[in-house]
Amino acid sequence: MMNKPRLLIPFIVASFVIAACASPAAAPTVAPAAAPQPVATTAPAVAPAPATTAKVKIRLATWTGVDEAKELQAVIDKVNAQATTYEIVHEPQPADYYIKIQTNLAGGTAADLLWLSQENITGYADKGVLLDISPNLKSDTRPAAKLDDYFPDVLQTAQFNGKTYGLPWIAQPVVLFYNPKMFADAGVQPPTDAWTWNDFKAAAAKLTKDTNGDGKPDQWGTAFNSWPPIQMFIWQAGGEVISADKATSPIDSPEALVGAQFYKDIIYNPKYAASQDVIKEQGFSELAKNGKVAMFFGGAGDDLDYAHSKDARFAEMKMALVPKGPKNRATFAWTASTVINAATKNPQAAYDALVDLTEGIQHWKIVAPRKSLATAAVIAASVPLKKDSAAVILQALPDARSFRIVPRQSEWDTAFWEKFQDPLYQGKGTATDLAKTARPQLEIALKP
Amino acid sequence: MLDAYVRTLVDYAVVAVVIATAMFVTFRVLVRLGMKREAATGYALVLPWLSGFIIWTLYPILASLYYSFTSYNIFQPPKWVGLDNYVRWFTNDPSFWPSLRLTLLYGAISLPIGLSLSLGVAMLLARKVRGVGIWRTIYYLPAIIPAVATILLWRWLLGTNGLFNTLLSPLYRLINVDNPSWFNGERFALPGLIIMSLWGVFGANTVILLAGLKSIPVHLYEAVELDGGGAWAKFRNVTIPMISPTLFYTLVLGVIAAVKTFEPGIFIKLNGTTTGTFLQVLVYADAFAGGNSRMGYASALGWIMLVIVMVLTVFVLRSSNLWVYYEGERT
Repeated sequence: MMNKPRLLIPFIVASFVIAACASPAAAPTVAPAAAPQPVATTAPAVAPAPATTAKVKIRLATWTGVDEAKELQAVIDKVNAQATTYEIVHEPQPADYYIKIQTNLAGGTAADLLWLSQENITGYADKGVLLDISPNLKSDTRPAAKLDDYFPDVLQTAQFNGKTYGLPWIAQPVVLFYNPKMFADAGVQPPTDAWTWNDFKAAAAKLTKDTNGDGKPDQWGTAFNSWPPIQMFIWQAGGEVISADKATSPIDSPEALVGAQFYKDIIYNPKYAASQDVIKEQGFSELAKNGKVAMFFGGAGDDLDYAHSKDARFAEMKMALVPKGPKNRATFAWTASTVINAATKNPQAAYDALVDLTEGIQHWKIVAPRKSLATAAVIAASVPLKKDSAAVILQALPDARSFRIVPRQSEWDTAFWEKFQDPLYQGKGTATDLAKTARPQLEIALKP
Repeated sequence: MLDAYVRTLVDYAVVAVVIATAMFVTFRVLVRLGMKREAATGYALVLPWLSGFIIWTLYPILASLYYSFTSYNIFQPPKWVGLDNYVRWFTNDPSFWPSLRLTLLYGAISLPIGLSLSLGVAMLLARKVRGVGIWRTIYYLPAIIPAVATILLWRWLLGTNGLFNTLLSPLYRLINVDNPSWFNGERFALPGLIIMSLWGVFGANTVILLAGLKSIPVHLYEAVELDGGGAWAKFRNVTIPMISPTLFYTLVLGVIAAVKTFEPGIFIKLNGTTTGTFLQVLVYADAFAGGNSRMGYASALGWIMLVIVMVLTVFVLRSSNLWVYYEGERT
């Protein structure tokens, strides 16, 4: 009979054999310092990389899809060509981006640079995951590093407790896209700068029609689907959802209630807007693109105003300012920043890459969140097809503002949705009642 | 690319060496402690599995129990909050009760219907007809289609302008209602999910029940015939009692699976506060989604789900005295 411990011997031997075979091959994983760098061979005349200096690889995580990633890669290529100390390697993660980077950050495998939209930066900064770049910015003279050139309201989304954690690369104000043909067919005057909520509502009612006589509307004045954000209308009525000191959520103030009620009157209301089912079936912005919705609130960078010029199947649309509320014409500016992972092994190279890349992106995406770049020429140079809309975009910028973000933003957003917005849109309560019950919940999420 | 491959290979090799060494050391220590060599060899051989169980199963289970009493965002150390997470689920989460209702109703309705249909299909497939092997293969095919593909298919079938509504549109016109949006509204979401769940009827349950049917001795049916019993008497007095252990097994697994339902809720967007969604989806959403993990809160729901599963399983186990027979005896 075979001695039982001998059963173990093959396992042990096999393990040692595998290890013995594999170990020597592991050595070349560290590239020799003098190894020729492919980047250096293609470096342009401007700032050529010294042949003997190895560039540090800086990983960049973004949510870009195939087409956007291609465009970004062109920007990165230019930045890399001029860089002497780093090479940016793009890692697009179009699906479940925030879940992935959260897991990567927790597991210590996250990229050096990360794209974060406005609502995520404060939370991660509060958790100590992001690198404070304030000290680097002080002595940096590059244009993208000059904080006083940024729109303050946009820049504050990348700041927390007096420190700066990233550089915004876009500030996209919400504008009103409208379909001139649908307006003309309905005999309605197109939007003007003087338009108010009442004008908008009256036009939406006239533009909502049953064109095939089946008793149901198949063309709508507008479409709301928790976009545009209700905050925008609350601001326009003089209300706030988070106070300036970020200590309260006064959504039950009379002003805030006026804004919320206006939104409630429009959303999914067959008199003015497409229903939830129609939006789910036919898509949201697609309704506007396909000529089913006459007025659509979109980001200034959206392609609604030039989709027709690329593909005639899409409806022709023009851009106008959002209608004015009772107090002002505040419009929401969606913004995003690039931040540095605090655990990066190359903080200086990552910082340099961040500033250079931000400059590149700010000449690619519109609208750049910097005063010096908020010009018709820059917009037209960045996206030539936006040339005709540049004037409206620039006109919208002074009214643009971003959300006030708190460290527990995700919890605040959940409570705002579950306790206020969703029941309001589903007709489960009045704005007044819901605001009263939601406010304490919202203010819990404002506490540190 | 090659670097990464080699590094991974080295990692595997190191792990293999560590495990083999641990097995060898375990064996030596046990023998030295006086254990028989055969027993020591056994323990040494189960060591890799045991290590895997402790590291990948037992530790996460115990960790999640601890986290359920903490506020934990996976970046900072967990903070003890006692029963707060549990209290919050029951008293202050608008998604919990609608989702609990949806999950339980989904299980309570889809499970009996699914089991009945599985049994019916299994009885058909148990008959001696030509080409039964092909029929069995055909009926099992839906079970091997990936869940995601199935759900996407059903999302289209039950869409506002999907196949179901197109076929039923004459009926809708007759009663003057619009095409329902099955998964968007409160009224039709649950029926839609139940109809979708029946797709799985022809899968594993049918095979298990078919095996149960095949093990029923023929002489029992002959005895019923001799007593003058017909098809219904055979079904009621022989088939059901004889396959009751199999039904019991599939029922227990079905209860657990129903409470843990996940894929339909992820790929079909349900309104958590009105329709409700599946509890497992809430766990996932709080643990990972949105980039702001509330692992402690999610862990608490995981443990609440465990209690729900245990209560339901105990109920099924207790009820088995009334309807499950082993070798002609009730349990």
